[in-house]
Amino acid sequence: MRSFLGVVTFLFAAVASAVSTKGNRLLVLLDDVAEKDGYAKFLGDLTARGYQIVYDTPRSEQLSLFELGERQYDHLLFLPTKVKGLGPKLTPNILIDFVNAEGNILVAQSSTHSASTSIGNFLAELDITLPAGRTGLVVDHFNYDTISASEKHDVLVLDAPEPVRDSVKSFFSPSADAVLALPNTVGHTLGAGHLLTPILRAPSTAYSYNPKEQFDAVDADDLFAAGKQLSLVSVFQARNSARVTVLGSAEMIQDSWIEAKVSRPQGSKVTVANREFAKALTGWTFQELGVLRVNEVEHHLTGNNETNPGIYRVKTDVTYGISISEYAWDSWKPYNLPENDAIQLEFSMLSPFHRLDLSPVSVTRDATVFGTSFTLPDQHGIFNFRVNYKRPFLSVVDEKHTVSVRHIAHDEWPRSFVISGAWPWISGIGATVTGFLAFCAVWVYSKPTPKAGKAKKTQ
Amino acid sequence: MAVATQGASSGINGQNTRTLLRVSILFLIAAAAVASRLFSVIRFESIIHEFDPWFNFRATKYLVANGFYKFWDWFDDRTWHPLGRVTGGTLYPGLMVTSGVIYHALRALTVPVDIRNICVLLAPAFSGLTAYAAYLLTNEMTTSSSAGLLAAAFMGITPGYISRSVAGSYDNEAIAIFLLVFTFYLWIKALKLGSMLWGALCALFYGYMVASWGGYAFITCILPLHAFVLIGMGRFSNRLYVSYTTWYALGTLASMQIPFVGFLPVKTSEHMPALGIFGFVQLVGFLQYVRSSMSAKQFKTFVITVIVGAVGIGLAGLVGLTSLGYIAPWSGRFYSLWDTGYAKIHIPIIASVSEHQPTAWPAFFFDLNMLIWLFPAGVYLCFQDLRDEHVFVVVYALFGSYFAGVMVRLMLTLTPIVCVAAAMAASQILDTYLSAKKPNVEEVADAGSTDAKPVKTSGLRVASKPAVGIFTFVSKALVVGGMAVYLLLFVSHCTWVTSNAYSSPSVVLASRMPDGSQHIIDDYREAYQWLRQNTKEDAKIMSWWDYGYQIGGMADRPTLVDNNTWNNTHIATVGKAMSSSEEVSYPIMRQHEVDYVLVVFGGLLGYSGDDINKFLWMVRIAEGIWPEEVKERNFFTSRGEYRVDAEATDTMKNSLMYKMSYYNYHSLFPAGQTVDRVRGSRLPDQGPVLNTIEEAYTTENWIIRIYKVKDLDNVGRDLFSAASFDRGQKKKSSKKKGPRVLRVD
Repeated sequence: MRSFLGVVTFLFAAVASAVSTKGNRLLVLLDDVAEKDGYAKFLGDLTARGYQIVYDTPRSEQLSLFELGERQYDHLLFLPTKVKGLGPKLTPNILIDFVNAEGNILVAQSSTHSASTSIGNFLAELDITLPAGRTGLVVDHFNYDTISASEKHDVLVLDAPEPVRDSVKSFFSPSADAVLALPNTVGHTLGAGHLLTPILRAPSTAYSYNPKEQFDAVDADDLFAAGKQLSLVSVFQARNSARVTVLGSAEMIQDSWIEAKVSRPQGSKVTVANREFAKALTGWTFQELGVLRVNEVEHHLTGNNETNPGIYRVKTDVTYGISISEYAWDSWKPYNLPENDAIQLEFSMLSPFHRLDLSPVSVTRDATVFGTSFTLPDQHGIFNFRVNYKRPFLSVVDEKHTVSVRHIAHDEWPRSFVISGAWPWISGIGATVTGFLAFCAVWVYSKPTPKAGKAKKTQ
Repeated sequence: MAVATQGASSGINGQNTRTLLRVSILFLIAAAAVASRLFSVIRFESIIHEFDPWFNFRATKYLVANGFYKFWDWFDDRTWHPLGRVTGGTLYPGLMVTSGVIYHALRALTVPVDIRNICVLLAPAFSGLTAYAAYLLTNEMTTSSSAGLLAAAFMGITPGYISRSVAGSYDNEAIAIFLLVFTFYLWIKALKLGSMLWGALCALFYGYMVASWGGYAFITCILPLHAFVLIGMGRFSNRLYVSYTTWYALGTLASMQIPFVGFLPVKTSEHMPALGIFGFVQLVGFLQYVRSSMSAKQFKTFVITVIVGAVGIGLAGLVGLTSLGYIAPWSGRFYSLWDTGYAKIHIPIIASVSEHQPTAWPAFFFDLNMLIWLFPAGVYLCFQDLRDEHVFVVVYALFGSYFAGVMVRLMLTLTPIVCVAAAMAASQILDTYLSAKKPNVEEVADAGSTDAKPVKTSGLRVASKPAVGIFTFVSKALVVGGMAVYLLLFVSHCTWVTSNAYSSPSVVLASRMPDGSQHIIDDYREAYQWLRQNTKEDAKIMSWWDYGYQIGGMADRPTLVDNNTWNNTHIATVGKAMSSSEEVSYPIMRQHEVDYVLVVFGGLLGYSGDDINKFLWMVRIAEGIWPEEVKERNFFTSRGEYRVDAEATDTMKNSLMYKMSYYNYHSLFPAGQTVDRVRGSRLPDQGPVLNTIEEAYTTENWIIRIYKVKDLDNVGRDLFSAASFDRGQKKKSSKKKGPRVLRVD
């Protein structure tokens, strides 16, 4: 059975147009398996990209993320559920374990469903805060869809997101003038950690309120968040590159909205790019995008062919090269640095002695080699060649190669006759030796003058 | 030697018989010396002892495996992580090279021998040679044939020497004491003969000594002192001039070939006496020459001018160069020789070593037994017949006694002279009372009336008194019998001390079961073996420096600090990590890439040499570098007590060392009965909680506990909240009072 499944999986993977670097077993969790029909286009896209989707409900008996300590699924997709807790199979600890085991999670939320406590606590561990009571609705009285929400203003119409800085790669903008529609959005706020990155932040005119409790007015003290502080779609990437994405609006990927036509106030009617956005979002979350791979690291003495020696000598010239590939949808490609970004090499013992920008040395079919040459410091010890390249939306590159740097051996110093300062002393030695030999020669060859009196006595 | 003296009266064959007897006696003494050092091998196994020997053993293995030049340039990247140690240039290679030479020689003779067995048995083998060297040295002091043999026997079995040379005690002292005694013998020989050859031999062995042990400075100071005293006594001679200058010139050159010594002989104050006396000898030699060609009056003014000028220039030069930094002032270890309290205040790392403590008086009797009271008698005998070599004994005895008094380990340098002097005294007694010959009355009367040669016949005045009664059989039997009893007691004392005090490997502990059988506590090796088999080959182990050499030798894992305490700051860093709270320790451990932390805990077994008892030294050493962050006072309760129980201070309870020692300890006991058997205190039922490290291994008797340093949290939390999350505590709701914390992208 196993092998049969394996063959099927293999065939399936072969025909699929794309596949994640982390496997294709996807578990979708929803209240009722029948609800999946509402997401037919979205899930169809995933299936077409090669994912093997298993549908289950949180309360299901046979549900288990781990079997004998091994991950059962590569990716998790939470669609909004009505249940308050997700039961003993999906506690926050298990979800954290899942992330620690390099599993990816996509959490889709909706203001019509309160998020479960399990999800809330799990996100809280990642420093993502949901509104009080895990319920909220984002409204914006300036960027709403006039067709469907002319009264309630709860369908946001936003431009496709741009990267926060120009040194960050852009994965989530289908095209320059693409428009996204986000109905019934739950906002969240992010902590200051560098593992978190917002993709889509609310416009400065948006705010979040609780439609059940705060239906007439929002007290300033009770305001959850507003404006740019309110994130609608955010991603989290753990140190082991496992990815967690929070999507504030599950409706935007439902069939009814994924290709809907919307219109802003005083705007024309446009078709939303939700489908493309969802593709990019799932592609990134399930590690089809933005995955970096270090193929090899090579360091050697400049002009010497021995690669990766374990020990160097102080003050020698060393060449370092690291080959990096980037995975994009279906293949490994050479990694190209964004503008204004650099991969840096640290040569460190306790603290860096060198911190150098690496420049592209060569590009092969699927990899770019970044490299540099430098002179080792005049300090012996145990050093690390370290490339610590952590950027938003790119998987973590943290390569540490330990080498020893030894002192100069006793026979590697310049000989004394090469050092001009030593010449007086060398000539001193020469003079002493010559003088001694000359003295000996004179001593040996000179006959002592016999003292008259003494000579007689000895005879 | 009883036989030897009888041999004197046995005709033409006497000379040969005596030689044969002497050789066989010396062989027996050497055999006894070796045999008495084998207790530990028989009782435990052929194992390297204690701490430093493990490094020497590891270095020897490196030497044997990689050859001499690799060893000479050895950069050791498995100690002092991440600084590394230029080991080849910072050790005394004599010991390892000696073992390596023996190893290769035996290999060449097709004797397949393990390098470990050579290392284990090197010290006993050299003790046999030391006995022989003591025999030679004593023979230079006295004409008595028995004194040398007695000295050899004393040297062979005296506990003061055995303490550092039992089988397995593979330390520099193992060969250094032989070299010390032999160098002194060669010096005396050179001085007596005024021979350049013997002086050169002396320099050669001095060079070997320098290559072997830091204690060579003792020779470097004693020989010039001897020369100075001789000159002061008006005994300057060409013999002294030749032997001293030969020794100094060649010996200094030889010593400078050792990388660890290098230019120290011309740069540090410890070596200045030798240099000064070298100059002084030249000066005196020059004056002697001038005197032969000058009138007495001119000479007097000349001498005064020259001496005042030379001494003045010399002193001014010394002071000037020292203040300019060309000559290093006395090192801290040297200061502590003059002021025993110095180290405790200024350099805690030196004071923390037990063998650097002042000697307790009973230790003298413990290590030397009856020799300690024979010793002054021997020195007194030297005064009787004060030749140049006797002056040496007197000088050595004075300084040796002083140094042995201020530092326990220097008992070792005192022992040889004690053996020599005591042997002279003992042989004097035995020679006097054992002679079978009865003088006839007239001779005695003659001797009594003229008093011609009382000194020649015997040193002790009592013995020279011509009372006839002393020649009776009864008095002879009484004295000789008494002496024999003392000698027998000495042998039994030495055997007892060796067996009970000096034959424990300290790596393996032995205890007695209730039925009297021996129970081996092998926690150290258990832990080191665990490290060797269960951790990555480059997993860095942090422990207090005492265990560094053992971890390197037995577990073969890199360590942060070890017994070669060359970098006080690095040791203080480890001390700070141990004595601070987890919040402070964790970044230190991360920075130094520590994978495991090893602590020694004796609370369960009552093993008092554990880390909690050493803890205050860690605190003091750390405080020396970071007085603001680590304070010794905070580890004492308000009443000034050092406690580990419920009343311990918060600083103590939060320190990493305390937490690691007592983590989970309470789970061994029923509630309310947790007890620490070393400190004899009752511990609280709630044990400490660890967040940044986790227990990896604890040995059978809980002596060694190993903890693994956690990696950074995968999802970016600090380890304290991650640990509390794992324990099932919910994150506190993030409703904070005060202004919102905004995120900036």
